Amino acid sequence: MGSEAPLPKWASTPCIMGIDEAGRGPVLGPMVYGCLYCARSYQKTLATLNFADSKTLKEEKREELFENLKADESIGWSVDVIDPRELSAKMLKKSVIQIVISFSFSFVYFSFLLQDFTRLIINRNKVNLNEISHDSAIGLINRVLNMGVLLTEILLEYSDQSKGITRFLILSAAQEVRIPYFLSISAAVIAIWRNLEITLKVYLDTVGDADKYRIKLSERFPSIKFVVAKKADSLYPVVSGASIVAKVTRDRALREWVLEETSENMHRSFGSGYPGDPETKAWLAHHKHSIFGFPTLVRFSWGTCTSYYKDMVEVLWYLLKHSNSICFLTLPHNYAWPFLHNVYEVLRLKKPDRRSI
Amino acid sequence: MEEEKGATGSINLSLNGKEEEINLSGQVHHLPCCIKFNGPCTVSQYFKPKLKGMQIDGLAVEEAHFRGRKLQGTTISLPNGYAGFVLAKNNSGKRKACDVSEGNSNDWEMKAKFDKLTYWNHDTPPSKDDPFLRSFHWFTVVEALHKQVKPEDLATIDADQ
Repeated sequence: MGSEAPLPKWASTPCIMGIDEAGRGPVLGPMVYGCLYCARSYQKTLATLNFADSKTLKEEKREELFENLKADESIGWSVDVIDPRELSAKMLKKSVIQIVISFSFSFVYFSFLLQDFTRLIINRNKVNLNEISHDSAIGLINRVLNMGVLLTEILLEYSDQSKGITRFLILSAAQEVRIPYFLSISAAVIAIWRNLEITLKVYLDTVGDADKYRIKLSERFPSIKFVVAKKADSLYPVVSGASIVAKVTRDRALREWVLEETSENMHRSFGSGYPGDPETKAWLAHHKHSIFGFPTLVRFSWGTCTSYYKDMVEVLWYLLKHSNSICFLTLPHNYAWPFLHNVYEVLRLKKPDRRSI
Repeated sequence: MEEEKGATGSINLSLNGKEEEINLSGQVHHLPCCIKFNGPCTVSQYFKPKLKGMQIDGLAVEEAHFRGRKLQGTTISLPNGYAGFVLAKNNSGKRKACDVSEGNSNDWEMKAKFDKLTYWNHDTPPSKDDPFLRSFHWFTVVEALHKQVKPEDLATIDADQ
């Protein structure tokens, strides 16, 4: 979706573009990335259009501004709506576990003395929310470039993502830990505990680091100057405009959402979708289903959902990809099983949730 | 609980005077997970497979979501000569007063029949290499194993040696 008129003349002069997102935090509904672009020379006029951070505007005002900018021939815009099903699916992708035992069976009982180690590799090819966001922004830039717009500068909002996303980062990233295998049960627990430690460090290094994001984008689009800044949506009118585009699109998408499920007594009072909203909470509580969890509008990968899982029927997923070399067989049977079981435990989101900051 | 030695059971695949056979073809799904529940559930209201309009190894790919996970699957016909049945314990009808209680009953009755089923993979699209499809190769082996050996067959083996 976006402005569809034939390419205006100003598009071949140097242009500036703002990108912002809406609906990153909510537990339900789509996440929307919006962009707004115009000629550099139009910036001054843009500043007079009263665009402000969409969060500070009332809904009617946002709608009004959106209609105005749609009508404005000197402004172009585009959106990327990311379906909640896609968000859940990417964040809950299948994990691969690989256990490499460097020892033969006969050494199992000596391992305590020898201090040998088993390597447990939990490879999660899950995609975290940051990656999804970055891909969406890159997709928007590509789309606008392909339309023939001469982009020279792009401003992006870099929201403070520290709190809500911690647990997803814990679940993401490839992990590799060494654990002593004589402690079948506790070793798995330790491994998992260490796992979390390791990823927590990764998290501290990367999240909140707007500069890395900027470098990533600059490498991909060398001819464009990127500005990644917090509060960009209130500092730069072009980003404010993008935030309005994104927010209005998200609100409309949620308002007009057609529930896939055909169960009776479902209603559409979603509230804002934020986990703290009482209306959203009530909606979640009313729509939970012991087998299916929730309607597919809900982002199952969100921590908020976990608290509802205890009332639901337990579902266990197979983690092991058959293509991987798993050497369970070299462990005595009674050692291997609890080991596997513990790994299951963790990947059902229980541990990470308890550990989230 | 006392257990009878050499308990016997029966499976009744006849219609038993019921009006019509229930055919569940296309409504039987094999999921790549373990759902710790047994019983009826409003599946069709929540589980909405969609054809993706794409073929892999000649299998029409379908897509659905379950508990936030993306499933990709395909509907296959059961091999020739095989049929799928939904069985339930027979607890209607005559039961002698002192006879086995409901739970112990070992008489099964056909509730529905199917000749097609849909199997699903988590994230990966269906292919000919899926263990589920490959398990059907076993039927060929079984057939060969259980085939009656005729004297002529033995004779030819002898001749070969």
